Amino acid sequence: MIQCRNRRAAALAAALSFPVLACEFNPGAAELSYSLNRPVIEQNQDLARDAGAQAQLAGALEMLFGTAASPRFLAEPEWIEGGFDPNYWGEDLVKNDDALRASLEASNRATFAAQIAAIEAGTFDAVARPRHADDLWGWWEELKAEKSGDAAGLKSEGIALFAEYYPSLRASAALYRNQCYHCHGAEGGGDGSTSAFLEPRPRDYRPGKFKFTALKGKARPRHEDLFRILAEGIYTTAMPSFRRFSDAQLHGLVDYVRLLAIRGETEILLASFYEPDEGLNFANVQENYLDVVSKWRAAPEQLIAFEGPVPESTPERIAHGRALFTTPGDKGGANCVSCHGEGGRGDGPSVNDPKQSTDDWGRPIAPRDLTRGVYRFGRRPIDLFRRIYAGINGTPMPEHIGMTITENGQQRTMTEDDIWDLVFFVRSLATHAPAVAQHGGGHGGDLGGGH
Amino acid sequence: MAALKHFLLRVVVTLLLLAVPVLGVWTFTEADRWGLWFPPIVSSYGASIDKLFYLILWMVTVTFIGTEALLVWFVFRYSKKDPTRAIFTHGNHKLEMIWTAIPAVLLVIVAISQMEAWTTVKMNFPTEGPYTPEKPLMEVYASQFDWRVRYPDAQGNFTGADVIEVPYDITVPEDTKVVLRLKSRDVLHSFFVPTFRLKQDAVPGMDIPVWFEATEPGSYDLICAELCGWGHYKMAGKIHVLPKDEFDAWLAAKRAALYATD
Repeated sequence: MIQCRNRRAAALAAALSFPVLACEFNPGAAELSYSLNRPVIEQNQDLARDAGAQAQLAGALEMLFGTAASPRFLAEPEWIEGGFDPNYWGEDLVKNDDALRASLEASNRATFAAQIAAIEAGTFDAVARPRHADDLWGWWEELKAEKSGDAAGLKSEGIALFAEYYPSLRASAALYRNQCYHCHGAEGGGDGSTSAFLEPRPRDYRPGKFKFTALKGKARPRHEDLFRILAEGIYTTAMPSFRRFSDAQLHGLVDYVRLLAIRGETEILLASFYEPDEGLNFANVQENYLDVVSKWRAAPEQLIAFEGPVPESTPERIAHGRALFTTPGDKGGANCVSCHGEGGRGDGPSVNDPKQSTDDWGRPIAPRDLTRGVYRFGRRPIDLFRRIYAGINGTPMPEHIGMTITENGQQRTMTEDDIWDLVFFVRSLATHAPAVAQHGGGHGGDLGGGH
Repeated sequence: MAALKHFLLRVVVTLLLLAVPVLGVWTFTEADRWGLWFPPIVSSYGASIDKLFYLILWMVTVTFIGTEALLVWFVFRYSKKDPTRAIFTHGNHKLEMIWTAIPAVLLVIVAISQMEAWTTVKMNFPTEGPYTPEKPLMEVYASQFDWRVRYPDAQGNFTGADVIEVPYDITVPEDTKVVLRLKSRDVLHSFFVPTFRLKQDAVPGMDIPVWFEATEPGSYDLICAELCGWGHYKMAGKIHVLPKDEFDAWLAAKRAALYATD
């Protein structure tokens, strides 16, 4: 009897341990695929009803941008002739700029210090596989096979390979899947699974509308603008700094975000122009694609450049900035007071106006409390200057350069000097520490809303 | 024959049971070789924290080996086929006294041993030198899900437009008693620097002074040690310890960079 019970117990133990021993725990990368932008499709009734046309649209997008697992741009022959390949967009930009390339290499040498040390010591088989850099590992293995008999060559080329590493779009897509996807979504729609918990919501890249750039008007962001957001994060939002990754990886993420944004904007254009009789023809697709890419290529020309040092802040300039700030628009001022309030606390009369307190994404938005010294786009005077100069895309914060103002009975347009005066006044308002959570206070101060 | 079989079974079961604590203790003796033991100490008070850890580890080790040895022995001794009836016993006053008194004494030893480390780390803040709780080097804001450090402007103010704000990277001077003030913007976080043996919760609504003296230049991990939400795993940072003159140059460069126009 006892023996029988033992046998049963052994069988039970074996049955219980079987799933553990039999399963190999190997959670590979999730397979993502791009979906169509549903809200945009629904806006065009003809397209919404036509499943065939939608499949055609998905096919056109795949032709232009590849798949989520293997993203790439369809490169136009004339681009290649002119020395521009969107698949190496960021890499060419970084490697043609000496200062940027030097910082990229320094960052790579720090990130891959262990690998480079192993190569220098000639212990090629001891080179550890780096994290989040599958392409680099593949290139290293290829190089190792190719130079199997040539230790000196392998050493010099191997070190260069790691030091000059710039991720492929494919590797960046994998990193995006790992780090960004859960908020920003597979297509960059800002609709990932954690997005609903956040205020402000993650950016939807697809309309090509980005808040924080150093550029005029509604220009698409430059590579540098997006890089900065990744490196610095956006203080008081859920967007953290990603400095724990190497510069190369952040540059690669910028490239992938740009691909998603261009893909999304092309999709929106194709969907809005879809006519049932014409369908999607190649010329139409190509025209819209070229149009969107050209907007992104033109971004650097829109930089709000400022030569020379930041002008000196004087009491007179601050006083002039205060006058501009606090004078309402109908009295010829810059009208900042209507949203930011007399003391810059973000409590002006317009905060009760639904039009002034909703952004282009339909979310509630509050003017920044300027007394806290929290500036999402950066706290350098030049950052504030650019913010006031161009406004904030997608929000009620308007462009100020060229705005009509009236002073001493004279009507004129606002100049860069006026904007500097506003900057100096705004900086003088920063007299409080950033808001922190209060005991029993629920939401943490200025965590929500604001632009 | 049956008796021999039973004896062998007892031996096998006992040895199997014995293997568990032996393997457990063995992992501790080998952990350092596997790179699973403590990182190096780079703060002035790190050794006193480790001393406490080892004190408790030894207490636990002795207790563990003692109780496991008894358990293994009992398993062997009392699995013998024995026709005697078990006797019912309702406690033993002397035994109760002993196993209450011994842990109590151990607890007092732990309580007294930790006093010095606790006062050093959490109470005796620097009163002289460049940084004190009233005049800290920096403020560290924890929020979901990053660390942001604020250095004062040239006049030493933490409000105002010329404050330096840096995410992720915290830079401090070597061989200097550094004081920071730790705040949370939202929920509980914990400022944990393993190489400094320093851990301090960031509590919403509180402004908590923290001090350390880093003894080796280098870059060290900062992690959040309090589950703070879904992005807790990505809430990391680096503490860069620089020689004093390099630190001064770094801070001056940061202040100058505020006025760049690129």
